[in-house]
Amino acid sequence: MFEILKAKLEALGADAWELTELHEKRWEFYFIRHELDQNRYVNTLTYEVKVLKSIEDGKFIGSASGEISPTLSDEEIDKTLSELLSRAGLVKNKPYSITSKPITAMPETKEIDVSEIAESFLEAVRAVKETESEDINSYELFVSEKRKRFLNSNGVGYTCVYPGSMLEIVINARREGHEIELYRAFRSGACDKEKIEADVKSALRVGRDRLNAVATPELGDIDVVLSTADAVSVYEYFLDNLSAGFKVRGMSDWEAGKPICEELSGDKLSFEVLSRLENSSYDYPVDDEGREIEDRFIIRDGVAEGYWGSRQFCEYLGIKSSDVLNFRCTGGTKTEDELRSGDYIEPVEFSDFQVDSVSGSVAGEIRLAYLHRGGETMIVTGGSVSGDMSETIKTMAMSRKLKQYNYAVIPEITRLRGLRLNGAERK
Amino acid sequence: MKAPFSKYLDSIAPRLKALVYELGREYDYVSVLSTDSVGFTASVSQHYKSVSGKTMTTERGTVVRVMKDGLYSEYAFNEAEPDIASKLKKELSSQFELMRKLGTKPYATAAIPDEPIELFVEKETGTLPEETDMNALIEMFNELSDEGMRTIPAALDCFLRGSSTHISKLFITKNRFMRQSYVYSEGTIGAYSPSDDGETRMIYEGVSGLGGPEIFEGLREKLAAAPKTMEELLKAEKIVPGEYEIITDPGISGLIAHEAFGHGVEMDMFVKKRALGAEYLGKRVGSDLVTMHEGALCDESVTAFAFDDEGTLAGDVVEIDKGILKTGIADALSALRLGIAPTGNGKRENYAHKAYTRMTNTVFDSGSDSLEDMIASVKHGYLLKGTESGMEDPKHWGIQCIVHRGYEIVDGVLTGKVVTPVVMTGYVPDLLGNITMASPDRRVDGNGGCGKGYKEWVKVADGGPYLKTKARLG
Repeated sequence: MFEILKAKLEALGADAWELTELHEKRWEFYFIRHELDQNRYVNTLTYEVKVLKSIEDGKFIGSASGEISPTLSDEEIDKTLSELLSRAGLVKNKPYSITSKPITAMPETKEIDVSEIAESFLEAVRAVKETESEDINSYELFVSEKRKRFLNSNGVGYTCVYPGSMLEIVINARREGHEIELYRAFRSGACDKEKIEADVKSALRVGRDRLNAVATPELGDIDVVLSTADAVSVYEYFLDNLSAGFKVRGMSDWEAGKPICEELSGDKLSFEVLSRLENSSYDYPVDDEGREIEDRFIIRDGVAEGYWGSRQFCEYLGIKSSDVLNFRCTGGTKTEDELRSGDYIEPVEFSDFQVDSVSGSVAGEIRLAYLHRGGETMIVTGGSVSGDMSETIKTMAMSRKLKQYNYAVIPEITRLRGLRLNGAERK
Repeated sequence: MKAPFSKYLDSIAPRLKALVYELGREYDYVSVLSTDSVGFTASVSQHYKSVSGKTMTTERGTVVRVMKDGLYSEYAFNEAEPDIASKLKKELSSQFELMRKLGTKPYATAAIPDEPIELFVEKETGTLPEETDMNALIEMFNELSDEGMRTIPAALDCFLRGSSTHISKLFITKNRFMRQSYVYSEGTIGAYSPSDDGETRMIYEGVSGLGGPEIFEGLREKLAAAPKTMEELLKAEKIVPGEYEIITDPGISGLIAHEAFGHGVEMDMFVKKRALGAEYLGKRVGSDLVTMHEGALCDESVTAFAFDDEGTLAGDVVEIDKGILKTGIADALSALRLGIAPTGNGKRENYAHKAYTRMTNTVFDSGSDSLEDMIASVKHGYLLKGTESGMEDPKHWGIQCIVHRGYEIVDGVLTGKVVTPVVMTGYVPDLLGNITMASPDRRVDGNGGCGKGYKEWVKVADGGPYLKTKARLG
């Protein structure tokens, strides 16, 4: 099918094209307690096609994309491709090109054993010791082998094979008729058995604490310590504000060569794009447009160094870059003890935690947090934290020690100063 | 015109019927869901324009569900495979081998009842997405984007996005042969401008519903209101946190319905004992003014299907009747496990995903109070407008809604002060128990998608009238 589509695209008359094949084989297991609720096998093959057409003698370029199902007839494929070409002629964008630089280091194409990965995850979950008061309510496991093949009309192409996994788990803790739950989703390439086991054990402990939680008091401004996967969205705020798309569309005023904020008195963040990251579900060094991803800094010591993004927006900025699949954030100068000192709140379970990269708004409803005030620790629930990233990054503090969450390596502990704590005490 | 059913699905139906018959000799229950849904998404801004043949729900593939000895298993695929039955048995047996090795027992469930149903539904629509004049649509979006740049204060961009999907689904069991097709569309207009304090403020409004791209005409009306909204937003302040009287516009009322008693009464959560709602059946959860419906039949929205992804006919369930929680919603397997009838809420993200209990239209009933009277009754509070996102905690009925903006009301009068953003949190029975007024009008919105946890995105719609209650805002 790939070769048939390639031949049809070559004959179509498009000025450029990209063809991506994705073959996914996925094992899924769903458990209620430890009983098998359902098992599923998914085997899908999809073809993504993008065609580009020069408009008004190269003054503009248009593009249209679509998916070709492997069960389309020959006539249906021809109709779909010619419709894409026709639609491409309707959207007038400033000119940009597709990738022409050959890939020098081809990604790996070794087979993935989904059965073995699934077994590791299930063994890790079952190795966790449950008690009468803390146990596993249910869990869902997804393990995939993904085989991606890319080719464009400039002859740039690659094939890569990579694993993708997700374990979603719900923990219960109960005492005297009162029961609470915690939700965790672990995403990775393959299975890091020890890490999964440790993280599930930690969730059980957190669940026990939540039974003792009281309503969060109204305290006004407070420092917020983040030590869970929620912190990734804080660092993605930095990433988004250096995306070429944000820059071109006027959604970010950050500029390469300039500090990311004025009056920076906190830790100076360095943000590094990584070509590879072990056990990430994106551990391959080429992006979806056939550009090799190079290890590089986009922020170094609090100063923006460069942008990233789609080829279209990067060309509009006049730069050569790539997408970002994996990253590492460093620059923290503090120890755990230093970051966990004085008055602060450490939410370990939010209903949802969001950082709006456009407005900079930070918001999250607290399901469980540890409130440290005057040397005392309270376990609290309810209420919310809110704030503004453009202010809080000036004084943000980070740990030297790092932790990996799938595609992101970030400081293990992040302290955001002066967020607002909205209480939950009922009148 | 009627949205025609997929010729492709009609062409493969005989083979799928034969597959159900063949697998039926070995399994206690067999069903097949096959899909063929086409559509487009068009986006226009001042900085980029694009058109794609994909939407959130375009797909073509098949999922086979089988049950043996109480265990349900599925095989999803999208290629024209010559011997599906053999492939299914081979792949599932590899999984069973792992389960045996780990000593896993099945969560045994009976066979799904299979009363005979033959159904063929082609819903009315305007234009089909595949027959849309894309040139005219892009031109209209260009025109509106340009107009937005002229009229919206300090706009850095004005963008539009429209997508339209023609759904066709085929469901087969030994006794059921069900086919449906319909078209839904959704469009958004938005803009962003820099405020004096250096923040970027964004506005967006949407239109959605059962029907073709003709509904995008509604974006003109949304654009007309955008300059005033942006003007208000550019002057907006931060809210002083606290508990306030609030009036929710129909969009926020819908968000509350969705988060509070949508997710909270998805009965697959009852099976896992994950929802507080199970303990509240027959009990008061809201004031007398609270009556809430859920079902694909409740509104001609983006999720107004004739049957769900498990072959259950669409329903209209009264979840809350005058403040009393009556029932939840259930997919076929959860219903069987709970000993109740399924409600037509078994939905999949697409053929390659598992069916869960999912919402369709979740809607508060209307009341009789005018919006003017509602505002006049507020001592100090906010009229909340603009949905950003929401999250629920079904085990404890905590709710979080991120609201775009609030209009201050003091002594029954809108003061002109606007706050943004607003994080609304609360305890669901308090929030619904404090509802004291509801307006006669009602609106149902269906833009965007809904996830279960942080995955399994499906189309849903929700709405209601203006409601007056109390909540904690921050």
